[in-house]
Order: sequence, then C-alpha cells, then structure tokens
Amino acid sequence: MVDAARHPKIKLLTYAEVKEVNGFIGNFKVKVEKKPRYVIPERCNGCGLCAGVCPIEVPNEFEEGTGPRKAIYIPQAQAVPLVYTIDMDNCIECYKCVDACGKLRAIDFTQKPEEVELEVGTIIAATGFDVFDPTPIKEYGYGNCENVLTAIELERLHNESGPTVGRLIRPSDGQIPKSLAFVQCVGSRDSRFMQYCSGFCCMYTIKNALVLKDKYPDMDITIFYIDIRTPAKGYEEFYQRARDRGIRFIQGRPSQIVEDPETKNLFVYAEDIALGQPVEVEAEMVVLSTAAVPRKESVDLGQTLTIPNDPSGFFMEYHPKLKPIDTPSEGVFLAGAAQGPKDVPASVSQGSGAASRAARVLSVDEWEIEPIVAYVWAERCISAQGKKCGVCATKCPYNAIVVEVGKAAQVIPAMCHGCGGCVAECPHNAITQMHFTDAQILAQMHALLAEKPEEKILALMCHWCSSAGADTAGTSHFEYPPSSRGIRVMCSARMDRDFIFEAFRLGAGMVLASGCHPQDCHYITGQRHAAKRFEKLDKTLEGMGISPERFRVEWISAAEGARYAQVIREMHETLQSLGVKRIKEENEKARPQLEKRLKRWVEVPDVAEVLDL
Amino acid sequence: MPRLSGFDPNFKEEVLAEPGGENLYRCFSCGTCMASCLVWRVNPDFNPRRILRMVMLGMRGEVLSSPVIWLCSACDVCYPRCPQGIHVSELMKAIRNIAIREGYEPPGPVAMVDEELCSGCAVCAMACPYEAIELVAKQPSDGRRPVAQVDKFLCLNCGICAAACPSGAVSIEEFGDKEIAMQMQAGNWFAEKGLEPKIMVFICNWCLRANADLVRLNQLPPNIRVINIPCSGRMDPSFALFALKEGADGVLVVGCQPGECHYRRGTYIGQGKMGLLEQVFAQMGIVDGRVRFARIGAADRGKFPRLVKGMVAEVEQRREGK
Repeated sequence: MVDAARHPKIKLLTYAEVKEVNGFIGNFKVKVEKKPRYVIPERCNGCGLCAGVCPIEVPNEFEEGTGPRKAIYIPQAQAVPLVYTIDMDNCIECYKCVDACGKLRAIDFTQKPEEVELEVGTIIAATGFDVFDPTPIKEYGYGNCENVLTAIELERLHNESGPTVGRLIRPSDGQIPKSLAFVQCVGSRDSRFMQYCSGFCCMYTIKNALVLKDKYPDMDITIFYIDIRTPAKGYEEFYQRARDRGIRFIQGRPSQIVEDPETKNLFVYAEDIALGQPVEVEAEMVVLSTAAVPRKESVDLGQTLTIPNDPSGFFMEYHPKLKPIDTPSEGVFLAGAAQGPKDVPASVSQGSGAASRAARVLSVDEWEIEPIVAYVWAERCISAQGKKCGVCATKCPYNAIVVEVGKAAQVIPAMCHGCGGCVAECPHNAITQMHFTDAQILAQMHALLAEKPEEKILALMCHWCSSAGADTAGTSHFEYPPSSRGIRVMCSARMDRDFIFEAFRLGAGMVLASGCHPQDCHYITGQRHAAKRFEKLDKTLEGMGISPERFRVEWISAAEGARYAQVIREMHETLQSLGVKRIKEENEKARPQLEKRLKRWVEVPDVAEVLDL
Repeated sequence: MPRLSGFDPNFKEEVLAEPGGENLYRCFSCGTCMASCLVWRVNPDFNPRRILRMVMLGMRGEVLSSPVIWLCSACDVCYPRCPQGIHVSELMKAIRNIAIREGYEPPGPVAMVDEELCSGCAVCAMACPYEAIELVAKQPSDGRRPVAQVDKFLCLNCGICAAACPSGAVSIEEFGDKEIAMQMQAGNWFAEKGLEPKIMVFICNWCLRANADLVRLNQLPPNIRVINIPCSGRMDPSFALFALKEGADGVLVVGCQPGECHYRRGTYIGQGKMGLLEQVFAQMGIVDGRVRFARIGAADRGKFPRLVKGMVAEVEQRREGK
C-alpha cells in the first residue's frame, strides 16, 4: 500500500465514494465524492498530537470495537495515507486539536464534500467483504454472552498491534482463558442465512488455534466443524500440524451455547459425529467463525458500475470458469472478495489478473468488439418524431442505449453486448441486431418449415445455454425424435413474440422457446425479460384457437443435454397425440388473426422479401 | 457389517414422496438436531441424524421396524436450528406413515381411558397437543354413548389428558395418579421430623437440558423432594393440594420456557393450572406463594438450584414471621 501511494502513476483517493459512472470501455467518466476530513492532507504529517489531546473516545471500527479511538483518528497504525480524519458524528468541536496542531495549521473545520471527475479507461472493483453478524443465531448467544466472540474480534484481541498488545483476555474478567472453543460455519452453509461455504474460515481458525497454542501451550482448544475444507496448496499439511499440536477437532455443529451465570464460562453442546453421541464442552471463551458476506453497499455500487449481483449479493463475474475476472460490463474487472469469499493467495492472484486484464485494454488504441451489436433505424424510431418511448433503454441490461425525445435512440456499440433484447422489445420494430436481423431469422424459419411443417417442432434456442445443451445431447448420444428444427439466437431476450406467431402461421406443429436458467443468463436480465414476454403467450395462442400445449417455454442449461432430449421427446409425444389433422385445423383457424398481427412487420426493412403476406 | 448394496435404493425416494419428507436430501449430517434433541436422554438409541442417514442409505427394514422412530415428540427444538431447514419431526412423521402402512405399530405406552368412568365431555380431546383423542360412540355397560378413544399412533404419553380429565377416567402408565402419590409419600417423607421446610418440586422431564443440572438434582438436601413428571401440563392441581395437606410447606412446579415445550403447549397448560390454583388460594386469603410455577429455559444454566434456594428462604422467612 505504501508502494502504491508513492508510485508516480498511482493516485489514491481514500475516504471517497464513487457516485456516478458514465461512458464505456476506454472512456469511462467517474464522479467521485471526496468526503471532508477536516484535515488538510498536504499539511498533516501524521504526528498524532491532535489525537493525544482529543477528549472523545469511541469504539474503534478497525479493532471491531475491542478498543477505543479518538474523534480525530487514523483508521489503523499502518494507514495510507497517514492523514488524520475528524469523525464529525462524535466531535464536540472543542478545538483542542487545532491548538495541538499549532503551526502546521492542518485542521480546517470549514471543509466541504468535494466532487472530482476522473477519466479512466478501465475500472477494477475490489471492495472486499463484510463479516456476518451472528446475533440472529440466538442459540449461539453472541451479544448476550460476554465471552462469545467473532473470529475477527479474536483476531484483533491477540494481534500484537491490537488493543491488548497481543494478550488474549476474556471480556468478562480480563483473564487469559484456559480453554477455548471455535465454532465453524456460523452463518455460512446455512439455508437461513448464507447458503455458500465461505471457504477460508477453516484455515484462519486453524491459524488462530496454532498461534494461540504457541502463545499459551496449556490452552485447551476445541474446534467444532461440519467439514474441514483445506483444498489449496500446503493447507492439508497445516491442518495436520494443528492435529499434531493436540488441538481437538470435533465433527459436529453445536446446537447451543449456554453461559454459566456465575463463572461466565460457556458450555457448548454438539453431537460428536464420530462418537455418535452428544457431547458437552466447557470453554472459557467461544469464537464463532462467521461467514464472509457481501458488502452492504455492493448492490448500490453494482448498479453504479453496471455489474450484476449474484443471488448471494457478491459481484457476478462474466463466466465462472472462462472469464472469472471480467464482468458483463466491458472494461470493468473484479478482484478479491468482492466477487466471492476468497483467501489471501486467491485475492492476490485475482488482483494481479485484474491488473493485467486492465493493462491489455489500456495498451491498445482500438478495442475490438463482437459485430453482433444492435442498430437503430432512425427514421422508424418514434423518439425521433418527438414522442416519448424509451422502452429499449429500460430493457437494456448494459445501459447501452441513450434515448432523448426528439432524437432517435442511440446505441453505444462499445457497450452493447448483442443480446438482442431491445430488438424484440421495440414496439415499433425500429431496432435490429447485426447478423441476427428479423429477415435472417425469418429466412431460417421458412427454410426449416418448408416441408410438412405440422410434423415439426421449431426450437428457438439461446446461444449460451439451450443451443449448447442441444449440442451436449448430440455429443452425449442422447436420443430424441428427429422432428425438431433449431434456430440459434444469442439470448432468449431476442425471441420476438412475432417469431412464434410466424412459426404457427407457417404451420409448425410445436414451438419451443428455450434459454438459460435465470441465474445463468449471460446478459444479466435477458432471460427475465423473455420469461415475462412468454408468460401469457399460451393464453393468447389459445384465444386464437391454438392448443396451449403446442407452445412450450423451457430453461435448459448447457450441461442439461439429457433434459433437452427429454423435452423434445415429450413435445414429440404431444405432437403425435394431437395428430396432424387437428394441428392443420388449428393453424387454419388461427391464420387470419396471426396474419393480422404480423402485418406491421412487413414494413421492416428486408422483412417484406421473406414474409409472404 | 451392513452391506450397502443389499439396501433398498428406492427407500429414500419413498420417504421423499411422503408429505413432510421433502427436505431429506439436504441433510449433511452436521449433528445439530441430535445435539438439540431431548429424547435421547430417555432413550439414547434415538438419534434423528442417524435415522436420516439410515433412510438415505436405504436401510428400509431396519428403520421401519425400529422402535425409535416413534419417539420424536415434535417439540421442534431442532427445526429452527437446522442449518439446512429440515423439519425433522415432519420427516419422522413421513417415516411413521410408511411404517403404519407396512403394519408396524408404536411400542407405546399410550394414555388409557376407563370407558365406564368417561363421561364423553371431550376435555381431554381439546387438551391433547397431538389431536390423538377423539370421541367415538361405544357401548359401555350403561348404554350407548360417546367415550374418548386414544389413537395409539399419535399419542406420546405426555399425560396432559390425564391431568385434564375431570372424571379421572384417563390415566397414563408410569406417571399415573397413584404412582405420583406413591412417589410423594415414599419413605414416609411427610411424617419425617427435622426436615423443615419441606418443599415438593414437580419438575418436567425435559426442562433441565444441561447434564450438570441433572447431577445437581441428586445433590439436593433431603427436605426437597423432586418428582419427575413427563410435562408440566401433566401437573394435576390435586397433587399440590395432596402434598400441602400431608404437610409440605411449599409446592414448586417447573416447566419449560414458552416455545421450548417438549409437548408443544404443555407448559402453557401447566402454568394455567397452577395460576388457577394460586387464585383459589388467594380467594381463601392465602397469598404467601406456597404454590408456584417457574420456568427453566434452554439457556438458564444453574437456575434450578437458585429457584429451590429462593423458595426455601421464603418459606423460612414466613415461618420466622409467624
């Protein structure tokens, strides 16, 4: 951190908040609000005389409340930059610090929040994680029992630079505990709170246990765990070392921690799975290894940076295996626990990775993007005619469309990822997607349904999941009837309702619209928009006289080849049971209404050539 | 040694399909349920985690024929603690339903109804926390009329019905009125000299959760007599009256904290009964707290000796005041 601060090309903005991000890869404009420190950084030399005279003491956030800090403070001893800050919520404005500062005159009570605008090429989000607050787990007594601590509190308590100078003491009586119990998976692997495994708690617990065992060899240490997870290099050996040192590992998640009102000792109840019996362990201190949870600001910051949050709330990477550092927003990268719980080595690796991903962008003058971006026919866009619309902009997951009344909607190609959601949503057919134009897709449809359409299943598949799922079915040799005909689009969001109408107009027996599962969508919200669009379509079709079971919506992932085959088999059975005669009748009945609906489409450039209305 | 290949691979699906069995697969054997469970004190063979494990391995015969599947009393202490949100009591119910269909029966004991004495008032049916009692028309010696009938599949022998019955027609094994009276009198305790003040303590089987507290029960001085009852809801006020009549100086009834009752709502019933008794005493002009209801919760470690000490001190003060 000190190196970073000294580097001529690195500018640190601490005690600041990102307010707004505009622009796209290579051309971001970031508005940052610098909060007032009430201390002039250029003049403060970090001598600390001000903190010496400050009469206010409040719990120190860095020490997790185990120690005090003054109202004028630096967050921690190694803080970079070494500049004091006045905490105005607690300051009583006695101005003693001003006197103490003397000739340096570094304290300035008139400071106001300051906004700076930065122009940057790439952004790396490395906002870290929060620690789970175990108070809601009533049976563990955190908050009620004085000697139940969280692991991070313990970390500060036995740290040499912590409030007790490395002496581990019990909060209730200030004595060094003779026995200590660690409880793993507090808040993590718990369907009530965080379903995921935080990953690094096993290791830090073992580390803490070993450090304490070195310091206090007589301390009786018990670790309660569900599973010990030590998957990385050298970790298992470390775990073995802890076992060798006589630390007691009990497999079993404690059901309850009870405080003895007289001694303030704690009784931990758990089942020893290996023994198959409940056990009671008396400990003078209990440490809860709490889950790593997303920062509480992560949703707001995610919206500012256009990074989606995964179901747990961490920032979502572009692809879990192939693009673990990138985000769906190009030019924005992730590092560390902001993406998911991570230990130090993994965070460092990802940090280096993010830096080199960013350098790749910064080192070139031009950046290539996929050609499949959206394109607006300015003359068709009603926004250009002075009417209010903007549907496309609201549906774009990447904020890549700018709509101003009086001007046609404008697509920023560098931000467009080519899902085609806007194309399908535009009520005036004013947008198209390069290489996936309506005319091209229609041409495919016409070719596939040219012969005996009533015996065929037309499958619209998204590129990332369903199409890959169909491939998996093929490569895995899962058999399904030969009646299906597939059309690939980039995302289920591209699937216009008109495609389905047109398919039935052409006489298709069955239509399948399939995409990713909601959490797997490669275009953040694409699947959700599609799902909403198709929600009541079967009712509409039924109104036209088409049996609702002839249209099916399925979410099939790339791995679910067997499921794809199964869906096609089921649809084929339905097709057979309805019979060609009935399908033909239904299609004939629905045709006039379908044609009416599709009429407007002919105006779209190139469509008229294909659409024989 | 059990051979895994010999087990029934479909058993887990069978349980899964049963209402209540839905979350079976989520169990990762952390042992929270077992460590919460109170039943193992009565029967150490009962281990909900192991039963779920056996189901998942497909040990169909062993599970269904086992007497322990009938022991879960649906106190649901484990349910809110389970990190995987598994409702163990519902799962047990699912397993029992399969066992019942296969012709297995719970080993008992269950509440018994003396049909001659039963007046068909249905008070017991309303009191039962498990809806195990219903009225059926029967032909006792004085003609056809409704009498209470206990469903052996649902009854858990808590004795709340026995305490509720106004005609003395319902009784339970081991904790019947006679047995409890005999325990109170055992060793001619009431007549024994030099034991003042004498305190009769009725304590629910379940509310002492820590083993250390159980040990402390045995270390109490001889002037404290502890009677175990299955639930504070089993407490018939006439037990208290009997003890006071025979010469006890105070009666203390200890039940569980609300929400922790082993028999769902027994602790409320027990508290209600003792509250009424206190009111009756108050109407007679006796307001010295000689009958009392107290609660011990899961986290009240060491509360029991304090309770008893407090009561003894009060009685002594009262005697000196005289």
